[in-house]
Amino acid sequence: MPRATVTIIVATLAVVLGGEPAAVRGQSPAGEYKIGVLEPLTGPLAFEGKRHLEGLEIVRDLINERGGVMGKKLAFAVADATDPTAAASEANRLIAREGVKIITGTFSSRLCGAASEVAARHNVIYWESSCVDPRFNKRGLKHVYRTEIDASGFGWYNVEFIAKHLAPRLNLKPNQLKIAFLSEDSSYGQGVTESARQRAKQEFGMQELMLEYYNWTTLNDMTPTILKMKQLNPDVVHHIGFGNDAVLFWRQSREQNFLFKALVHAGATGYGGGDFGKALGNDANGVFALLEPGPGFRLEALRPEGQQIERAFREAVQKRTGSYPFGAHQLAGSGLWLLKLVLDRAQTDDPEKFRAAVMSLDLPIGSTINGWGVKFSELGQNANERVQHYMLQWQNGQLVTVWPEEFTTLRAKWIPLGSWDQRK
Amino acid sequence: MDPARLLGPAQIDVLAQLAVATILLGGIYALIAVGLTLIFGIMRVVNFAHGEFLMLGMYLAFWTFALYSVDPYVVVFVSIPVFFVVGLLSYVLVMRGVIHASHNVQIFTTVGLSVVLQNVALVAWSGDFRFVRPWHLSTVLRAGSTTFNLTQVVAFLIAVALTISLVAFMKWTHAGRVMRATAQDRDAATLMGIDTDRVYRLTFAIGIAAVGAAGVLVAPLYSVYPTAGLQFVLLSYVVVVLGGLGDMLGAMLGSLIVAAVEVAGSYLFGTAWKEIFYFILFILVLVFRPAGLFGQRGAETLGV
Repeated sequence: MPRATVTIIVATLAVVLGGEPAAVRGQSPAGEYKIGVLEPLTGPLAFEGKRHLEGLEIVRDLINERGGVMGKKLAFAVADATDPTAAASEANRLIAREGVKIITGTFSSRLCGAASEVAARHNVIYWESSCVDPRFNKRGLKHVYRTEIDASGFGWYNVEFIAKHLAPRLNLKPNQLKIAFLSEDSSYGQGVTESARQRAKQEFGMQELMLEYYNWTTLNDMTPTILKMKQLNPDVVHHIGFGNDAVLFWRQSREQNFLFKALVHAGATGYGGGDFGKALGNDANGVFALLEPGPGFRLEALRPEGQQIERAFREAVQKRTGSYPFGAHQLAGSGLWLLKLVLDRAQTDDPEKFRAAVMSLDLPIGSTINGWGVKFSELGQNANERVQHYMLQWQNGQLVTVWPEEFTTLRAKWIPLGSWDQRK
Repeated sequence: MDPARLLGPAQIDVLAQLAVATILLGGIYALIAVGLTLIFGIMRVVNFAHGEFLMLGMYLAFWTFALYSVDPYVVVFVSIPVFFVVGLLSYVLVMRGVIHASHNVQIFTTVGLSVVLQNVALVAWSGDFRFVRPWHLSTVLRAGSTTFNLTQVVAFLIAVALTISLVAFMKWTHAGRVMRATAQDRDAATLMGIDTDRVYRLTFAIGIAAVGAAGVLVAPLYSVYPTAGLQFVLLSYVVVVLGGLGDMLGAMLGSLIVAAVEVAGSYLFGTAWKEIFYFILFILVLVFRPAGLFGQRGAETLGV
C-alpha cells in the first residue's frame, strides 16, 4: 500500500475516533436554553469526566421535569477537554460557535484554570462543580464560581476526622498521633496534603514522620516507600492516591505486612473511586475516604427541600446506572442544581445580575443535594462550612458513610486496623 | 531521621527486600523491553505504539478473565499467536509503507498508530480502570523475612525464559541469522538474496507477540485502561538504549539496572526522584557509550 494511502487512512481514523462523542451541534430550537459543558471525555481523565457528564445529564433531566431554567428547557453543548490546551480551545469554541453564556465543568484541577480564564476573557459565566485547585478562586476573576470546596477544605476535614474521631477511638490524644503523609503530586494532592499537614501540626500538634510526593502515572512499584514507612511505624497514613497507585500501595502493604492503625484519603480518585473496591474486594476493608455522602446517609438529617431533591437524585442515578451515586455524579449534579437555584433567582444570564443572585443565595446545611448549603464568598467560592463533607469507609466491597455520626446510620469499623487477614 | 542511615539486622532485611523488589520489577521491565529491542535493533524503527500493544495484551487478559474466567497464565500461550498475527497485520497495513522513509515519518506514523489504538480502546471499552484478579495475585511467598509476590515471580521467570529463547533463536536459527544480517546492513543483505521485507515482517510480528504476552502477564499487577501503556513505554526506551539496540541480554541487564536505580532512588531519596536518576543514567550512557552499555561500538548507526 502506498505511504500516502496509509497516511490518509490513519488520519481519517484519528479524526473519526478522536472527535468529541456527544457534542450537540447547530441552532438550538425555540424554548431551549443552552449552556456549555466541558469535561474530559477522552484521554487519561476520561473515566471520571464521563461520570461527571452522566451526573450533569441526570440533573438536567430532573431540572427539565421541574420546569427547566428561566422558563426554558435546559440543554447542553458538550465539549471534550482532554487536556488544558483542549479545555481552553473548546471553551473558546463553545463561546464563539455555540454562543453559550454559561459554561460548567470540569472534573480536573488541570483543566478548570485554563477553561475559566477563557470564559472570563469573554465575560462568560464559569460555574465550576468539581475542580479543587486552591488557586482557582484567587485570580480576581469576577464571574468565576465554584460550588465544591477546594483542596485545602479536604485537608481541613481529614484532620478534623483524625483528631476528633480517630484519636479518641485509638485512646490517644491528637498530639500523640504519628502521621505519615504520602500523596500523588497533582495540585489536588498537594493542596489537600499541605493543608492537612498545616492543621495537624499547628492546631493539634500531631507528629509528622514523613512526607512524600510521587507521580502516579509513572509509578510501578511502591515497595521501597512501604519499607521506609514500615521502619517509621506511623499510627495514621494520610495518603492521597489517584488510581493504580492506591491499589498498588494497599496490595504491596499487605505483601510486606505493613501494619498501621488507619489510612485516610480524600476525594473521588484513588481509594475514593469504585475501582479500588473492584480491584481488591474485601481486602479493601477499613480504608477511609472523605467524599460526598454514600450508603448509610440519613435523609432525615436534611431539611425537607433537601430531602426531596436528594431522594429524586438518588432514584434517577439508580435508574440510569443501577448503583448509588458516585462522587462524580454528586459533585456535577449538585453543582448544576445550585446553578438552577441561582438562575431561578436571577432569571437572566447577564453576568452582573447573575452575580447579585449568587451573592444573595444563603441556604443552610441540608438544603440541597448531598446535604449541602450555599453561601458564596466575594471570591465566588462556596463556604467550607456549608459544603458538608463526609468520611466514608470501605466495608465489604462498599464505600459507606461513617462520619459525622449524626448524618449516618452506619459506624466506622476496624479502628485500629487489625492484622491484614482479620478485616472481614 | 533517615532510616537508611542506621545499620542492623532490620536494615539487612530491608536490603534483602529491596534487592527482591529490584529483581521482580526488573523482570517486568525486561518482559516489556525485549520486544522493543528486537524491533528497534533490527528494523531501526522507533515504535511509539509499543505501549499500546502492551495495553491490548492487558485487555486480552482482562476480557478472557472477566468473560470466561480464564487464568492469565493460560491466556499467555494463546496471546503469542494472536499478537503474532496482530503484529503481521500492523506491519502490512501501517509499517511497511514507512519502513524506508525517514525517521521523522516513522515517528509520526507510530505516534499516530498509538493514538488510534488508545482511542479505539477508549471507544470500545471505555476509560474505566479494570482489574484482573486471579487467585494467585494475593499469594505471597516468604523466605525468611523477605516476601515475593507469586505473580511477579512468574512474570520474572517468563521474562528470563523469553529472553533466553529469543537469544537462542537469533543465534542458532537460520531466520535469526538472516535477521542479524539485515540489521547489520540492509543493502548488503538484499544483495545476498535476503528478502528484507519478509525479515521485517517477521521481526515486527515477533516483537509484538512478545509485548502482547508481556501485557497478559502484567495485567494482574496493574490497572488495565486505554493509556496503561504510557506508564512503561518511555522506560522501555531507557532500557533498550542502556542495553544496546537489538541486544536481548543487554535489555535484560538494562532492565535490572533501571529497576535498581528506581528502587534505590525511591528508598533513599523519595519516589519523586526515581525518574531523575534513571534519566541521568540514560544521558550518561548516550554521552559516553552511545551504543549502550553492552552494545558494539558504532552499532547504533548500522543499517540506517
